[in-house]
Amino acid sequence: MSNLQSHLIRINAFFFKIWLITKKRVFHLFEILFWPAIGLVSVGLLTRFLHLDGDMVAFVLIGVIALSIVQIGQLDISYVILYSIWNKSLKQELAAPVSMFHLIAGSWCMGLIHALLVLFLLSAFSAYAFGFRLLQQGIIPIIHFFCGLLLTSAAVGIFVCALAFRFGGRAHVGANSIVSVMILLSGIYYPVEVLPRPLQMVSAILPVTYFLEYFRSFYGFSAGATGHPLVLGYVLAILYVTAAAGALLVAVHDSKKSGILLKMSE
Amino acid sequence: MAAAAIQLHGIHKTYPGRGAVPPVHALRGIDLEVDSGAVFCILGPNGAGKTTLIAILAGLLYHDEGRGYVCGFEISRNRRRIREVVNFASGHSNLPDNFTVDETLNYFGMLYGLAKSKRSRQTERLTEFFELGAYRKIPFNQLSTGLKQRLALAKSLINDPRMLFLDEPTVGLDPKVSRLIRERLKELNRTRQTTLILTTHQMDEAEQMSDRIGFLRDGRFIRIASAAQLKRSVRLQERITIRGRNLGMAVDRLQGIAGVSCTLLSDRQMNCQVDSREQRLHSILQSLLQAGAWIEDISIAQATLGDVFVKLAEPSDSD
Ligand SMILES: Nc1ncnc2c1ncn2[C@@H]1O[C@H](COP(=O)(O)OP(=O)(O)OP(=O)(O)O)[C@@H](O)[C@H]1O
Ligand SMILES: [Mg+2]
Repeated sequence: MSNLQSHLIRINAFFFKIWLITKKRVFHLFEILFWPAIGLVSVGLLTRFLHLDGDMVAFVLIGVIALSIVQIGQLDISYVILYSIWNKSLKQELAAPVSMFHLIAGSWCMGLIHALLVLFLLSAFSAYAFGFRLLQQGIIPIIHFFCGLLLTSAAVGIFVCALAFRFGGRAHVGANSIVSVMILLSGIYYPVEVLPRPLQMVSAILPVTYFLEYFRSFYGFSAGATGHPLVLGYVLAILYVTAAAGALLVAVHDSKKSGILLKMSE
Repeated sequence: MAAAAIQLHGIHKTYPGRGAVPPVHALRGIDLEVDSGAVFCILGPNGAGKTTLIAILAGLLYHDEGRGYVCGFEISRNRRRIREVVNFASGHSNLPDNFTVDETLNYFGMLYGLAKSKRSRQTERLTEFFELGAYRKIPFNQLSTGLKQRLALAKSLINDPRMLFLDEPTVGLDPKVSRLIRERLKELNRTRQTTLILTTHQMDEAEQMSDRIGFLRDGRFIRIASAAQLKRSVRLQERITIRGRNLGMAVDRLQGIAGVSCTLLSDRQMNCQVDSREQRLHSILQSLLQAGAWIEDISIAQATLGDVFVKLAEPSDSD
């Protein structure tokens, strides 16, 4: 068997793991489908109550969908570690010749599938219920929008894994905090221009800000100060993925140096 | 001569302290050589560093100082290669909670990079080997402790390891399951020459399973030998209990024998501590008979590995 094949099998192991978790834990499926649906419906109804016009509805719903994609994408990656920590089986799994690369790649593939599922569901539902069609701008914008958000979700997920190797099962609090910061500062529900100046500077370093600007520009909203939101978004997202991966490798190394890895499996 | 499966020189490990918790110097210069195909047992009191040492060998913990080789690979440079050829199982093993037996073995087979056909073969073979056939569709969290442990061991053989680390593999199991597990492990060692590195607090297990025993105390091996050698090396007194009549009449004569110290409990029972049964038993019996005592029963308590353990575990001036 070739080397490549054995790497693919190891990647597949984590894909298989998340698939089993999803299959067995009704709650996991709930998290994946239920909360995004609730979010979309409640915000959609709010736009109706406020009598927002079509473009405004599009603005807000794009934000809600973006948030769901990032949430779902990161969930699978963070779960691949958190689940083992909750089960205390982490040292058994990490005794195998697997690397963090296998782990992230496998779970991210499942994240991709779940995020696609959410994208289709939410876009179908928002078209049906609120007359907002995500695909009306053609396929290229939506692909960029989706890829950008998925990259961002990987950065969040990998960073949560790094937290998990330091703080154990409590790390999912980190995921919630990061997503909350994003809701506040990335312009999910409102343009970042309404934020106070110092906070705007923070939103300028968040990739989601730019992917939202890019996609909303097709609905008549400004493409932001730079005029190249897509490039900026990608550059930032890749930077964050790299930084998160670095943090993860350091955290894993430290956990084997300090014995935390053993403690977490007792 | 068999190739060394493990070579360690001066391994140190300190767990860093955190906040109010002080650092723990758990291993203080471990030197060890274990031959390929051997069964080596690590004994030692709680906190001696057994689990720490096993974790370092299995690549789950990084040591601070010293050099080591596992299966010919240097332990701080070839961690991935080592993990490919070793495996481990510990007592009270935790595996993913709601994965069934089959799913667990399939998942771990994937983690070791085994192709699908090999995974199915291994799952068949190992579920049979550990008598798990009837439970293959049962999730881990619904298995009894004994079944969980059998699954943990099946998992630890999924990659046909050249070396297997076993940290208290039979702790908390009933005698029947323990026996099954020991038999299987011995069979594995015999038929596949798998090197076994084992820790246990069960002396009979250590004695039955291992070729050599290393006694670890305070992070150092203070004795490495076979069970028989260990029992001999620790100068333990043997106790002879004698029951009969008129035993009191022999007390004076017995006092005169070197290496013997007898206590009369009543006229019908006496205990004698002797340095060597082989050399002293004859004289004791002779003295008793000459003094007119009537002997009904003699029992001799031999030094056990448990006695050796207790003896070695207590700090002495010489070490
Ligand atoms: N993960 C850890 N973090 C910090 N200290 C630890 C950790 N694991 C063990 N120790 C400490 O290191 C020392 C050696 O522990 P270790 O678990 O290796 O002993 P052991 O011989 O396996 O004991 P036992 O018979 O109880 O299993 C002990 O003082 C223990 O408290
Ligand atoms: Mg231990």
